[in-house]
Amino acid sequence: MSLRRRLTLSLVTILILFAVNVGTHFWGSYARNESMEAYRDSVLAAQLSTEIEQLLEAQRQQILVLATLRETTDDQLDEAELEQAEQAIAVINDKIRRLGRLSHSVMEIQFEQLWESSNNLLQNWLEFYRGYNDATLQKDMDNPLQFLETSQRLEELEQRQAFIAQQRATIIDRTIALTDRITVIGFFSSIFLTATLGFFLVRYTNTALKSLKTGTERFGSGDLNYRIDNIDDTGELGDLAGAFNDMSDKLRNAIYDVRSARDAADEANDAKSIFLANVSHELRTPLNAIIGYSEMLHDEMGDSGEINRQQFQQDLYKIIKSGRQLLTLIDDILDLSKIETGKMSLHCETFQPAELLRQVVEALAPLLRDNFNELKIGDFSQLPTLYNDAGKFRQIFTNLLSNANKFTEQGYISLNGRNVPGREGWVEISVHDTGIGMNEEQQSRVFDAFVQADSSTSANYGGTGLGLAICKDFCELMGGDISVTSEVGVGSTFTVLLPADPELAHADA
Amino acid sequence: MSESKHVLLVEDNELNRDMMVRRLSRAGHRVITAADGQEALDKMHSEKPDVVLMDMNLPVLDGWSASRQAKDDDAIKGIPIIALTAHAMDADRENALEAGCNDYATKPVDFPGLLIKIKKLTRR
Repeated sequence: MSLRRRLTLSLVTILILFAVNVGTHFWGSYARNESMEAYRDSVLAAQLSTEIEQLLEAQRQQILVLATLRETTDDQLDEAELEQAEQAIAVINDKIRRLGRLSHSVMEIQFEQLWESSNNLLQNWLEFYRGYNDATLQKDMDNPLQFLETSQRLEELEQRQAFIAQQRATIIDRTIALTDRITVIGFFSSIFLTATLGFFLVRYTNTALKSLKTGTERFGSGDLNYRIDNIDDTGELGDLAGAFNDMSDKLRNAIYDVRSARDAADEANDAKSIFLANVSHELRTPLNAIIGYSEMLHDEMGDSGEINRQQFQQDLYKIIKSGRQLLTLIDDILDLSKIETGKMSLHCETFQPAELLRQVVEALAPLLRDNFNELKIGDFSQLPTLYNDAGKFRQIFTNLLSNANKFTEQGYISLNGRNVPGREGWVEISVHDTGIGMNEEQQSRVFDAFVQADSSTSANYGGTGLGLAICKDFCELMGGDISVTSEVGVGSTFTVLLPADPELAHADA
Repeated sequence: MSESKHVLLVEDNELNRDMMVRRLSRAGHRVITAADGQEALDKMHSEKPDVVLMDMNLPVLDGWSASRQAKDDDAIKGIPIIALTAHAMDADRENALEAGCNDYATKPVDFPGLLIKIKKLTRR
């Protein structure tokens, strides 16, 4: 659950509890008011009843006295006295009416009865007063029945009123007690719930923040494989953790890229160092012969006595040969460096491969004779005209053929060419020899720079170990490829695959 | 060059071997040769040379291995070995000394320096 939702839920819960508290409080207050009103009404009603009772009693005494007086004397009531008496009766009537207003529906029957009997009584008294001066009117006022009935009805109403008031007071008290209890419970549960929600909210937020802190610390210390995944939150904190995780991913990728780049640079640097060490080694070998023989000849020239001219000439030739080897080596190194820095360019021209191969073979004929090798040349008439780098073509086959001759003695070297079946415009030219051959491990490294099949190879057969590396680079530059198959003691076959036009290779790719 | 020593030259390159043999002979030493590491060990046993000049890039058994084996062999471990190599980096020198060679010289050889090394190592 998200932090926002948790907060909202907590707030809503607290607000609801608060509203319940306020509601019960108002309910309680209302009940108290009701109770007060009922109490006041009952007090007022009791007071009124007493007043009415006293007034009725007083009026009855007065009437009894007047009745006796009328019988014994010839007493007459003047206008003012009559009016006073009528007014007193009206007051009583008015008070009974007020009592009625204080009565509730549950006391209606009692009040109706009181109203009826009091009306009769008061009417009777009013008639007595009005007919007082008329001597013909006979009225027996001694009979207390009507008065007693009214008194009884009044008492009944009073009792009923007291009973109802008590009943209502009990109900109201109960309500008050209930609302008080609800208010207290609501209050305490509000406090408890608020504290609990607060506690869990704080704990949850704390845990999440701690996870985030741990995560950022781990990220900071470089542990970018760490994941903040212990946050049970689909909202803001979860998003934050996700953002941190994403950041660490991106950092890790960036660092990986930087490391790869650095590794690649280191590798290139190492390769350069190895290359330099190899170059140094390869340069020192012919230089050793050149300096060694020169110093020796120089020393011999200083000796007294005859100089062996033939020996001297042979030694000089060794110096020349080593010097040439050094030059070839330097040329090869420059070629390789040009290729590696991407500065070797193709100079395409149209040429007949058959013609170029014939020239190469002619140039190498003396070398072949030296090793007593026989060259077999295939049929090149079907080969197409090529539009490619003729110079590099010549160098590739000069290298391959002189290599084949170098490692073969009194054997056969064959040069064959054909169109590649199914690949229009592609030619395949192979150089096969019956020389010393190579095992599989040697074949896998044969196109690497400065690698010869064996460390003694260069000593025994000469060469820089750069020729085949250059051949491979040239073949690839010309859009083709070179491969080798070989067997130790049986011979080797180098196969060159070339497109008629370097563009063809791009079109194929 | 007063003292004549019995020198075993281990070198697989014919041109260099020929040149070194002639120069050492001219300096008054008696020189025998070996073309690979195994032949060198055999000749150390049979000929008991005073000193060995060992190329490091050798067929069959390379110079480092041959030196190591010689130094583990009680019969020949007393024979001093001078590494002769076209590997001229510091690490190559370390490698040669670690393999048990007593001294080290890079190609192209400083010949007078080499003679002094031979003299030093064969002094009794």
